[in-house]
Amino acid sequence: MSGTTTGSDPKACPVHFDRHTPDYREKFVEITEELQQSCPVAWSDTYDGHWVVSGHPEVFEIARSAANLSNDHDVHGVRKGYKGIAIPYAAPLQVGFLEMDPPEQRDYRAILNPYLSPAAVARWKPLAEDVTRACLDAVIESGRIDFIDDLANIVPAVMTLAMMGIPLADWPIYCEPAHATVYTPPDSPDRPRVVDQTLTMAAKLGEAAALGRTTRRPGLVDALINGEVNGRAPTDEDIMGVLFLLIGGGFDTTTALTSHSLEWLYEHPEERDRLRQDLGGLLDSATEEFLRFYTPAPGDGRTIANDCEMAGVAFKEGERMWLSWAMANRDPEVFPDPNTIHLDREMNRHTSFGLGVHRCIGSNMARMVFKTMVTAVLTRMADYVCDKAGTVHYETIGVINGMRKLPATFTPGARLGDDLDATLARWQEACDTQALAEPITRRSTPGAA
Amino acid sequence: MRVRVDEEKCQGHTLCAMAAPDVFVLSDVDGHASAPVAAVPAEMEAAVRAAAGSCPEQAIVVEP
Ligand code: SF4
Repeated sequence: MSGTTTGSDPKACPVHFDRHTPDYREKFVEITEELQQSCPVAWSDTYDGHWVVSGHPEVFEIARSAANLSNDHDVHGVRKGYKGIAIPYAAPLQVGFLEMDPPEQRDYRAILNPYLSPAAVARWKPLAEDVTRACLDAVIESGRIDFIDDLANIVPAVMTLAMMGIPLADWPIYCEPAHATVYTPPDSPDRPRVVDQTLTMAAKLGEAAALGRTTRRPGLVDALINGEVNGRAPTDEDIMGVLFLLIGGGFDTTTALTSHSLEWLYEHPEERDRLRQDLGGLLDSATEEFLRFYTPAPGDGRTIANDCEMAGVAFKEGERMWLSWAMANRDPEVFPDPNTIHLDREMNRHTSFGLGVHRCIGSNMARMVFKTMVTAVLTRMADYVCDKAGTVHYETIGVINGMRKLPATFTPGARLGDDLDATLARWQEACDTQALAEPITRRSTPGAA
Repeated sequence: MRVRVDEEKCQGHTLCAMAAPDVFVLSDVDGHASAPVAAVPAEMEAAVRAAAGSCPEQAIVVEP
């Protein structure tokens, strides 16, 4: 095992690890290699001191030691004062069940799972395909697209709202702040505008929750309002936290994965042709490989819940820890030639959806929506040429490894159907009259248990 | 060859069913996997090994 830490005391030689600097994005490979080789479980002096776990075996062991870790964000100071998953501390808002421990965390997942399981998500494929089609129709005659503004921002937003049971046409209210809060630094002159948009979004979510209490409308919002967590109904504050989590998890991550993948495919035209000609054989493994390589959500914070030893290192209760899914995904121990994308990589046990009990609950949706968008682009605009000068990556990748702009040109083609507004109106009617957002347990298919 | 899924470890990543769709069944409700086959047919052994290797939680137990 590379750089085993048994018997050593990482605190004796702290590192200076700051994932919120542009440097971390630019020198990601070097920084990762250095950490993994010298100290796969390192103590960093940044942000009041915290652990940084970068080696795959170490991330694997520690992330799954649920009893020793806490995700709790104790906003009201009624438990142990733990600070949740953001390092440094972000804001006194508990981000749903991602910032809870079992049993509450488990109860929330049990409520939402029947809406997000592979079988439940498969029912949404026709909507994803139709919205994708409408997005491409809007630009297909012009020969110009911004893959983010015109496609990868829209489809995940509409899909997330559809599952939540929120009006589809409201997607722009949620879309802009969901991305901008991630990429706009706290000291940016644009910050007040983003905060305003976020407040508007919060008010809209509050309305949706309030409406759901009077008129039942199938979807994740309804499930939360009428669910039972640890023997009681969730409070309004708890519900808002979960709704923010669903939007935070559903929007920017899938956008980030799709845009990076399309950029890479443009830069590797032979691989793009290979994938296009064998979508049936390669798209599954290619999706997992893009997930591994670009790790849209690069890591999660934890608090050590009791004095313990994990991966050969002694930890103290209350210490903060960053589990880096992104760095674990580049560990040569587990992923041969880790810094190269191999579309047909096998045994790709990447950590991009996290590990252990907090595994991303939206992973099935993310995969389906990503595959739908990539398939449509490769089918309808296979010769796209990205405009390097207009391409914008997030300056820092501390929270999401994302992109803001990916403009491209391609050989124009013909429209296939109605425009986005008409498409959404059609699907809204289907959602309302056919209760599309019912949980899978209430819409069992013939033959299913 | 025999195969089973350790349900304490499985978190429903679904990679096993991608690698060996005829062997692993995903729950409709939460996507967690099970392997209902009693013995793995010889022609599926390689796919089952690939599935075990791709499980992020290392929840798949393969016995000769
Ligand atoms: S890949 Fe592993 S964790 Fe995922 S469903 Fe299969 S057995 Fe469970």
